[in-house]
Amino acid sequence: MRKTITGLLAGASLALAGGISVHAANAQELTIFWAEWDPSNYLQELANEYEKETGVKVTVETTPWSDFQTKAFAEFNAKGDAYDLIVGDSQWLGAASEGGHYVDLTDFVKKNKVLETMAPATVKFYSEYPGNSGKYWSIPAEGDAVGWSYRKDWFEDPKEKEAFKAKYGYDLDVPKDWKQLRDIAEFFYRPDQKRYGIAIYTDNSYDAMAMGFENALFSYGGELGDYANYKVDGIVNSDKAVAALEAYKELYKFAPPGWAKSFFVEDNQAITENLAAMSMNYFAFFPALINEASNPNAKGTGFFANPPGPDGDQFAALGGQGISIVSYSKNQEEAFKFLEWFIKDETQKKWAELGGYTCNKSVLESAEFQNATPYNKAFYETMFKVKDFWAVPEYAELLQQLNQRVYPYVTGNSGSAKETLDALAADWNATFKKYGRNQ
Amino acid sequence: MAAVRTSGEIAANRIAIVAVLIITLIFLAPIYWIASTAFKPRNLATTVPPTIVFQPEISPFVKLFVKRSQLRTQPTPEEYAAAPWWERMVFDGGEKVVRDGKGNVQWSGYPNRFMNSLIVAITSTVLAVGMGTFTAYGFSRFKIKGEADLLFFILSTRMLPPVVVAIPMFLMYRAVGLNDTHWGLIILYTAFNLSFAVWLMKGFMDEIPKEYEEAALVDGYTRMQAFFKIVLPEAATGIAATAVFCFITAWNEYAFALIMTNRRAQTAPPFIPSQVGSGLPDWTVIAAGTLLFLLPVAIFTFVLRNHLLRGVTFGAIRK
Amino acid sequence: MATAVLTTLDPASRAATRGWSDITIRNAFIVPTILFLIVFNIFPLIYSLGYSFTDFRASTNAAANFVGLQNYRDLLNDPFVWSNFAITAKYVIVSVVGQVLVGFGMAMLLNRDIPFKGLLTTVLLLPMMLSMAVVGLFWKLLYEPSFGIINYAFGLGSFEWLSNPDMALYAVALTDIWMWSPFVMLLSLAGLSAVPKHLYEAAAIDRAGPFYTFFRITLPLVAPILMIAIIFRTMEAFKTFDLAYILSSQPTTELISIRLYKMAFQEWQTGRSCALAYIVLIMVLAITNIYVKYLNKVKER
Repeated sequence: MRKTITGLLAGASLALAGGISVHAANAQELTIFWAEWDPSNYLQELANEYEKETGVKVTVETTPWSDFQTKAFAEFNAKGDAYDLIVGDSQWLGAASEGGHYVDLTDFVKKNKVLETMAPATVKFYSEYPGNSGKYWSIPAEGDAVGWSYRKDWFEDPKEKEAFKAKYGYDLDVPKDWKQLRDIAEFFYRPDQKRYGIAIYTDNSYDAMAMGFENALFSYGGELGDYANYKVDGIVNSDKAVAALEAYKELYKFAPPGWAKSFFVEDNQAITENLAAMSMNYFAFFPALINEASNPNAKGTGFFANPPGPDGDQFAALGGQGISIVSYSKNQEEAFKFLEWFIKDETQKKWAELGGYTCNKSVLESAEFQNATPYNKAFYETMFKVKDFWAVPEYAELLQQLNQRVYPYVTGNSGSAKETLDALAADWNATFKKYGRNQ
Repeated sequence: MAAVRTSGEIAANRIAIVAVLIITLIFLAPIYWIASTAFKPRNLATTVPPTIVFQPEISPFVKLFVKRSQLRTQPTPEEYAAAPWWERMVFDGGEKVVRDGKGNVQWSGYPNRFMNSLIVAITSTVLAVGMGTFTAYGFSRFKIKGEADLLFFILSTRMLPPVVVAIPMFLMYRAVGLNDTHWGLIILYTAFNLSFAVWLMKGFMDEIPKEYEEAALVDGYTRMQAFFKIVLPEAATGIAATAVFCFITAWNEYAFALIMTNRRAQTAPPFIPSQVGSGLPDWTVIAAGTLLFLLPVAIFTFVLRNHLLRGVTFGAIRK
Repeated sequence: MATAVLTTLDPASRAATRGWSDITIRNAFIVPTILFLIVFNIFPLIYSLGYSFTDFRASTNAAANFVGLQNYRDLLNDPFVWSNFAITAKYVIVSVVGQVLVGFGMAMLLNRDIPFKGLLTTVLLLPMMLSMAVVGLFWKLLYEPSFGIINYAFGLGSFEWLSNPDMALYAVALTDIWMWSPFVMLLSLAGLSAVPKHLYEAAAIDRAGPFYTFFRITLPLVAPILMIAIIFRTMEAFKTFDLAYILSSQPTTELISIRLYKMAFQEWQTGRSCALAYIVLIMVLAITNIYVKYLNKVKER
């Protein structure tokens, strides 16, 4: 027995020694934290170019979206130095800047003319906090917004076109407004053929439900509240907002069965597995849809921007992230050097080529970018019409309250849209009051 | 019951045997399914109806270990021909292997997490079983005032829900810089397993006749010598069984690892569910990671089968 | 409690003259463990008790303010928290009852001469040794409505196990039943094999029916050991976090541990989550107390 114990001890100490040497601090290394998706891999490839040029090894560490926020803030709140840079969600700006987790990049932004090189909406939403304060906490890295993919092959089928025209009186095509979106969803909803109309976001964890509903809300001319004075009553429960929520719930009727728990993965699967005619998703998840290895319907898949609402307002929910330096990093100097390299025009061009959604104005406007993929044009159109969720430090509580109220309404049969949004307004008011924001 | 045998009972017995076999198959089906998915090509993992017969391949394991990225342009025939066999498997899946600035293939996060799991589980097991054996001997051989209370206290620390303990531990670790370190997890798992080891080992110690040591003491051994030379060898089986139980608990632990670790010390359980891939989950790779992770536990279960009952009931039931 | 250890007793005369005295050995063997457990289990709880009376948030640099019993009052008045407790209770009942029925039934079947009995029982133990988190993950694949093996094997079409809010909790419980029925089976087998055979023989002579035999002989004799299984599983089911957290994030499967995790590590309401942790802790200690009392009773037998 003693032999076994000695053996175990020796094994453990060896393993410990190995583990420790692997993690020895090295100034020539940078670690970037992001979520698990294609753009992180593209960023890794871009960072490999940086290593070729400078010899500094950059590793992109990832974690799935579902726990990205938790992991990032657990690390911040532990004041950990595991990550030097972080590509964080726009909603985090308030919490991360007020909590002292991000390094202030205002001087860097001004010195390097970031305001001139990047698209204005991206700097506004990804970098600045509080709104219009002129204080910047990150550099726009991955532009993103919600768009739509659809089954071009189904839409172009002459028989379908004829039947659609007969039923609705206009041609079956990419929807030009939310009314058409609804009609097309209804048209393709055929449970007996195991085909359904539309895939939307319904998941009640983190921001899925908010991001889905926002597309209806903003295009219907509604708002989540007044971001300047934290007023929500009469705004998030306005008539326009109520109509938008009703419209969103109506789409749920045409979703595939069991659609009460869906986010980007499920929405992509709706297309690859022939479940839905149209599917909402972030642009960043579209590469998988044009790759024939992951989407057997790649050739028959098309894309469009979120359509306008009844009054012609057209907006989409903003996704995407800026890149920030973590205050607890021991390699801040190296991190600044990396950012300087990252914002160069030629780096941004390379970033777009690799598959990243650059926020660089000149790259976005180039024909080369817009024709690079079937969805880049829709992306370019969308990025100038985006709106975002609250970026206040207590955004996580606001999201939780939205999930608690809106989810049962959209996926179940509880209450009316008006009651739902009234309750949400009351919740949000109480939260803002708790943090002394709306006095 | 074998004594009485009517024809009716024999028939009932046969029915019971068939029922047992069917139930066993149903219980094993999920494990078989995950194991077989680990050897499927990606396009057969999610077919309707499910694919049961297929040509097994090891591409999921290759993909499990290398960092991959979605192909944006197909490789040229020359590139494809020049690639080693494992890289071709990745190409066939519509992906490419990511290389660092020096052209070296980058590992995925999996090997690192697996290593962390080994480090943390082995070290904490050694510590918990070591301390637990001494303490169990103390409780078994000496009279202690309030012994029942102390033993209750020891057991109750094991019953605390992990998330309840995790909140203050997170704050304390933050103050001393133990978050996301191997030692941070090792301490937690040692504390968690120690109470269990004491309970289990006390049962084993109680079974060793006191007369053995008393004879040794008469022969001129000191108490310590008697403990090391007589008691420990007698308790070897118990120690081994306890160690395996502690190892499995630490190996499987999820909540603490999820909360207390991030990049450096993260173990496999919080990492494996995070491998849902980019946009569309690749179940074959998840299955491969799961299978490798379950293997040590499956082996230990067979080794342990005679002690299992005792282990899972804190030594309350002997078999 | 640690002081109790230090009081003297039984100074073992002979051994005490050579090497360490028994008292030294006893203390050296026991005190470190007790101290270790106090430092890493009890001290943190005292630490969090303090925070439960404040509005502390670990995510900000703001100092904690004392708010008295405010957190406890808010939590006990929060209908969402009550619904979390209700969900937990429902989950515990469904999964424990399921495990007892399946596990005990299997034990009844196995309690006879069966070829390869040892191998079969060993193989059936596999599920409960696996990691809950990883099991949760691969059951997601099994439950998948369109290509999952469960719907295919039982011909359920595209039955929604996890995405239907009313079904999800049962799906989580079903996975738990799969994992832990063998545990109940194992304990029941131990109990069944201890039932003296002559009782059955006597019953047979009296021409007692199978129901009579079962309810008057088998069940009462197996009951004590079955009770251990039930209390133990209740305690564990009450604490469930991993399985439900990974399998489903429906509001209808938000067990109290999950709510606690979200409150503490997603919303960073540290003070309030400490208060909720205390409420949960008191409940767990109550169940633990019952378990240990019972365990000691059975051990004495």
